[in-house]
Amino acid sequence: MLTALAVLSTALYVFGYYRMPFVYGGFVLQVAYMIMRGIELGRLPLVGPHDTLFFLSTSFMLFAIPVSFGLKNRQRFLNSATAMTVFFMLASMLAKPWSHPLPPILKTFWFEVHVALSFFSYALFGLAAILGALYLTDREEETESLQYKMILVGYFFFSVAMIFGGIWGFYAWGTYWLWTPKELWTVILWLFYSLYLHARLRQWWAGRPAAVLGIIGFAVVLFTYLGVSLLMKSSHSF
Amino acid sequence: MDNVLKNKNMLIKILKFFMSLRTAIWLIMALLCLLFYGAVVMPVYEEFQSLHAVPLFQWMTENSPGLTWWLWAAIGVISLLTANTLLCSIESVFKKKSARQWLLVISPQVVHIGFLFMLLAHLISGYSGFRGIAVVYENSGLRLPNGNEVLFKKIDADMDPRGYMRDWSADIEYYKDGRFFRADRIRPNNPSLQDDLGVYIKNVQFQPYPAAMIEVSREPGAAWALIGSILFMAGMIILLMFKIKKEEVMGNG
Repeated sequence: MLTALAVLSTALYVFGYYRMPFVYGGFVLQVAYMIMRGIELGRLPLVGPHDTLFFLSTSFMLFAIPVSFGLKNRQRFLNSATAMTVFFMLASMLAKPWSHPLPPILKTFWFEVHVALSFFSYALFGLAAILGALYLTDREEETESLQYKMILVGYFFFSVAMIFGGIWGFYAWGTYWLWTPKELWTVILWLFYSLYLHARLRQWWAGRPAAVLGIIGFAVVLFTYLGVSLLMKSSHSF
Repeated sequence: MDNVLKNKNMLIKILKFFMSLRTAIWLIMALLCLLFYGAVVMPVYEEFQSLHAVPLFQWMTENSPGLTWWLWAAIGVISLLTANTLLCSIESVFKKKSARQWLLVISPQVVHIGFLFMLLAHLISGYSGFRGIAVVYENSGLRLPNGNEVLFKKIDADMDPRGYMRDWSADIEYYKDGRFFRADRIRPNNPSLQDDLGVYIKNVQFQPYPAAMIEVSREPGAAWALIGSILFMAGMIILLMFKIKKEEVMGNG
């Protein structure tokens, strides 16, 4: 049943290239998938590559649809966002779902908010990368401005996620900071977007260089999320 | 007279350097490079595994400079960034004190102050934090670094029908100079905090005897980190509201 929902959602997204309302249908099915998976597990589905990739994929559309309204390049933006959504949804389907009960250490509000906000910020950074790529081709000021706004909101979510992770860490492990590669990459990611936000204030960086920074930022996001979790031993390993 | 003038000019140059946004950008880039190097070498060398066990500065002095140089360099860059952040914030407030949207002027500075508080927290914890791990049995005691003694009365676990541990706990009692003064229960995410030390239960086992892995931790920077976090979030919320509005006005203009 769950797999059928994901397949149907993918199909609707593909039809969305021809008729926009199909995209909304695809999103509704993704949300339905997450609700049903949550009911099946009795908790928020936020653990392991399957559930987190699916959550990330849904988050892309959660922000892409409202943001696209009023955008001159709406169709191109939504097509790219849909491609990203489908890519991550298919990737999630390749990963085996983790359906065990949560370890006691993960049963806390701080963990759920920490993870949810992290993925919301990753989604916003991903959409900002799309907007950066669109800006490089169309040179519309509106596109670059929207990229900045997405990064600013994403940066806020990411900062709050780090803070909540620190609070959780203090209650769980007695420290708000662990020296693992994941934490270090998290700081690299946070500093990278701090660099973007400061650089954009300077004339030289405004426009094209800032747009490129926004694109590179998403590569850092992907490595921080998938690369570190899959390749390195840390408190965040899959 | 010439020397005074020269010194004054030098001072102005240094101040200008530290008050420049360009300096901030270069410093962030340098910090990114150092941390990137650290993230690459960290999984390679075993010595980094013990970085959790002792305060940062103790670990850095106990290990070879070949391993720790990037951390020392990062601390140097962060110190420069701190000076840069402080001076830029002060300059910005003075320059724009008559601006109409005062909240827009002040909010990034609140974010900066929050950031500086978090750095201070790391500095304090890096100097005087404490971490210790011990395995304890039921009815055994543990002397803490602050002189208190903890008695582990009962170690318990809640299993689900499939054999997964749903929860675990230990009932503890505090004693000072042999006299009982407090009872508490520790569970995952629910430590016992007493006299600047936290007692955490990490894991339990029941064969051959009920035992628990306990971590005792002192994180003196935690309160500063919390203050910094609150300031950071408050500043960001105000900044978000005003910046997004400003971008929209600029876009319409």
